[in-house]
Amino acid sequence: MAEVKNKEARIGVFVCHCGTNIAGTIDIEAVKEYAKTIPNVVVADNYAYMCSTPGQNKIADAIKEHNLTGVVVAACTPRLHEPTFRNATAAGGLNPFRFEMANIRDQNSWVHMHQPVEATEKAKDAVRIAVAKASLLEDLVPKSVPVEKTAMVVGGGVGGMQAALDLADAGIKTYLVEKSPTIGGRMSQLDKTFPTLDCSQCILTPKMVDVYRNENIELLTYTEVEAVEGYIGNFDVTLRKKARGVLTPKEAEARGIVGGGCTGCGDCANVCPVIKPNPFELGMAPRKAIYIYHPQVSPLIYTVDFDACVKCGLCVEACGEKKAVDLEAKDEFITVKVGTAILALGYDIFPIEKKFEFGYKNFDNVITSLEFERLICASGPTGGHLVRPSDGETPKRIAFVLCAGSRDNTDTGKPYCSRFCCMYSLKHAHQIIEKIPGAVPYIFYMDIRSFGKMYEEFYYRIQNEGAKFIRGRVANITEDPVTKNLHVNAEDTLLGRPVDLEVDMVVLAAAIQPSAETEKTRRLFGVSCSQDGWLLEAHPKLNPCGTTTAGVYLAGACQGPKDIPDTVAQAEGAASAASIPIHKGEVELEPYFAQCIEEKCAGCGMCVYQCPYQALSLVEKNGRTVMQVTEAKCKGCGTCGGFCPGGAIWMQHFASPQIIAQIDAFLLGGEQ
Amino acid sequence: MAVKKDYMDQKLAEKLRDRKYYAPDSNPEFLKEVEKIGQTPAHMCYQCGTCTGSCPSAPRSSYRIRLFMRKAVLGLEEEALTDPDLWLCTTCYSCTDRCPRDLAPTDTIMAMRNLAFRRDIVPRNFLQTVQLIYKSGHGVPNNDANRAARKRLGLDEEPETTHKYPEYLPGIQKILDHYRLKENADRILAEGE
Repeated sequence: MAEVKNKEARIGVFVCHCGTNIAGTIDIEAVKEYAKTIPNVVVADNYAYMCSTPGQNKIADAIKEHNLTGVVVAACTPRLHEPTFRNATAAGGLNPFRFEMANIRDQNSWVHMHQPVEATEKAKDAVRIAVAKASLLEDLVPKSVPVEKTAMVVGGGVGGMQAALDLADAGIKTYLVEKSPTIGGRMSQLDKTFPTLDCSQCILTPKMVDVYRNENIELLTYTEVEAVEGYIGNFDVTLRKKARGVLTPKEAEARGIVGGGCTGCGDCANVCPVIKPNPFELGMAPRKAIYIYHPQVSPLIYTVDFDACVKCGLCVEACGEKKAVDLEAKDEFITVKVGTAILALGYDIFPIEKKFEFGYKNFDNVITSLEFERLICASGPTGGHLVRPSDGETPKRIAFVLCAGSRDNTDTGKPYCSRFCCMYSLKHAHQIIEKIPGAVPYIFYMDIRSFGKMYEEFYYRIQNEGAKFIRGRVANITEDPVTKNLHVNAEDTLLGRPVDLEVDMVVLAAAIQPSAETEKTRRLFGVSCSQDGWLLEAHPKLNPCGTTTAGVYLAGACQGPKDIPDTVAQAEGAASAASIPIHKGEVELEPYFAQCIEEKCAGCGMCVYQCPYQALSLVEKNGRTVMQVTEAKCKGCGTCGGFCPGGAIWMQHFASPQIIAQIDAFLLGGEQ
Repeated sequence: MAVKKDYMDQKLAEKLRDRKYYAPDSNPEFLKEVEKIGQTPAHMCYQCGTCTGSCPSAPRSSYRIRLFMRKAVLGLEEEALTDPDLWLCTTCYSCTDRCPRDLAPTDTIMAMRNLAFRRDIVPRNFLQTVQLIYKSGHGVPNNDANRAARKRLGLDEEPETTHKYPEYLPGIQKILDHYRLKENADRILAEGE
C-alpha cells in the first residue's frame, strides 16, 4: 500500500507493430523516440509482434538489464494480451502488476486508419499516460479463494440437462433449476429432429430419466432463481420453490406421511373441474388446474395451478391416503452455495402476430412451426393428424413461410437469422409428404441455409421428395372469408413474376428471441447481453461458453439461436469450463481490492451503504470505528473509493494518485 | 465491353446483341446519386421480392421494383432510366411498408424518375398532367360526369379546390414556373411532335 517513490521509477516502453495493424497507420519509430523523452523512461524498444516469444523476451531481458520498476507495452487491449505481458513482466523478475498497457490499436490505429499523423500523436499521448501510471504502480499479490465443489445449471432444456449430466458425471454435485414443472424444454415439444428424423421425445426421455436418477444431480423443477450473491467459487444462490401444491414421495415422508406423496396416477386431474389451456400444447389442448404437461414428464409429479384452482378439494379426496395434495402450499425459499453456474435459459418464439401482413392470430389456418410440431406429433392434441384449425379438414396444399420475422431490420422484426428454421421447415415438408397422400409443401425462402453436417444432403432429399421451392419472401397473406383458404402473395424472384398461391394452411417459421426470463436471470448473475438480448459470451470465437463474469458460463440458445447438436456441444463445453475451477479447488482473484487507510478513516460508514457487493463493514480497531473490506467480495468497482469524503480508501491498481498522474500526463502534455 | 459482331442485318444484330453484364456497363455514381436523392440505402437490398410481391402494379405489368433496386446496386443507369416500366409505380408505398430491410423502394423509384426527367426521359402522359395542373390545379380536373355525381350526392358541383377558388391558381403556377416544370413539359412535348 506504500506509495512507490516517483523518483526511483525506471520504466521500459515497448511499442508493438502488430504487423501492419498498428504500423500501417502509426509511425512506430516516432512513438518510440518520443517515449525516450518521457520522464522515468529508461529504455524504449519496438517489435513486429510484442506478444510473440521474441517480443516477450525483449521485455524480460530489458527488466534485468535496465533494472526496470515498470513496463509499458503500447499494443492492443488488456483484454487480449494483458495476461501475456504480465507473464513476461514476471519472467523478468518484476511483480506482474507493474505492467501497464497503452491501447494504440483498437482505440487508435483501427479507428483512425485514414489519419496517420493524428493517430501517431494520439499514440504518443497514450504512451505518456501509461508511463505516468506505470511510474506509480506497486507490487500486488492475487488472492486465492477456495471453490465450492458444487455447480448450478439454470434451465432444464436439452442444453441444461446435458451440462448437468456432464458435471454430475465428473463427480460434481449439481443443482438443476427449471422454472416449469418438468425438464425437457423446447425439444420435448418437437415431433422429429432433422436431419436424421429421430423422434425427438424418444431420444430425449432417456436423458430426462438419467437426470432424474443421477445421484449427483439435485433436480429443482418449478423453481426460479431469486437472488445471487458472491463470486466465482462462492456463489450464494437463493431459489424460489414455487408452491406446487403436490408433495413428492420424499417431501411426504419428511412430513411423516408414510408411503405417501405423488405417484403420478392422475386421479386428481380426473376429478378436477377446472379446465385451462395446456401451454405445452400451445393452448391447443386442455389441462386441469392440477396437471402434468404430458405423460413423459420428469419428475412425474402433478402441479396445482393456484391461479386457476378453486380449492374445491376434490383432488385431495381423490388422492386419498397418499395425501400428496396440499392446497395450502406456499412458495419456499432456499439458499444454496455453488462454485460455478451455467445459464441455459433457452428461447421463445417471437410474437409473429406483430407482423400483420402474415395474418397470424387473425386467420385461423395460419399457424407457427411450433404449433405444427404439436399437430404433427403422435402424442399431440390431434394424435398426429395435421388438421386445419378452421374446419378440422386435412390440408393438402401447405405453404411454409421462412424468415417470418427473422432477417428483418424493421422495428417489428429480428435482424438476425434464427438459424434452424430452414432445416425444420424442410423436415415439415417431408412430414406432410409422408403423412398426407397428395400433399404438396410450398416453401417460400430467401436462402436455404443448410450449413450443418448432413443438412445439405437433407435439402437434396426433400427436394427429391417433391417439395416445391419458391425463392421469394412472402409479401402478405390474405384469407378467403368463405373457404378460409389462404392466398400467399410473393414474388418468385427467379421467374421475376408475382405469385398468388391459394393454400389450405400456412406455417410461419417465426423468428426466435431470448426467453422471457433471460433478462431477469442474466442481471442476477451479472451477465451482459448483446443488443438483441442474447447473452454475451466472453469471446465470440475463443471463449464461446464463458461470460465476462468469472464462474458463470453459457449453454445453448440463450447465447444465440442454436439447433440441438450445437446446443448439446456448447453445453458440454460449458460443463467442462465450469468444472475446471471446481477441480482446481481454488481460484485467483485479481487483487483490485479497496483498502482502508485506517488513520484517515473517520468511520462514518457511508461507503458501507454505497457498496453494491456488500463487501464493506464497520469494525472496532484500536478503540476506533473503521471500515473493513472483505476482499473476496470486493470487485474493485471503485464506488467507495470515489465517494469517500476523507480519501481514506485506496483502490489497489486504480489508486487516486495513479489516476491523477494519468490525467495530469494527458492535460499537461508531459510537463510535471 | 459487349462484344460486337456484324450480322449484316440490323434487326438480327439487335436480336443477337451481347447482353452480358460487363463491368463498364456500371456507373457507380448512379447508385450514389439515387441514394442521395431517394434518401434510402438502396445498396442494402437483399432481393427477397417482398416489394414486387406487394406491388399492385406488378401483376398487370412488367414492372418489377426489385429489378430497379438491383439496377441501382449494379449502377445500370442506362437500363434503369430508359426502361418505360420506371413510370408504372403508383407510389402506394406498400413495398416501403413491408420491406424487411427497412428500405424505401418507392423513394428509389422517385429518385430515378428525377434523374430520368433531368435527361428529358419522361412519358408524355406525365407531361400532359403537368400541363393540366398548370391550367386547372388538378392532375385530373373535374368533368361533367363528376359534377353530376357530386350533385347526386348533395355536394357542390365544384370541390373546395382551385376549381372553386381560381384566384389561388397563380400560386400553383408560380411554383411550377419556379421549378421550370411547365416550361420543360411544353418543350419536351413540342419536341416530340
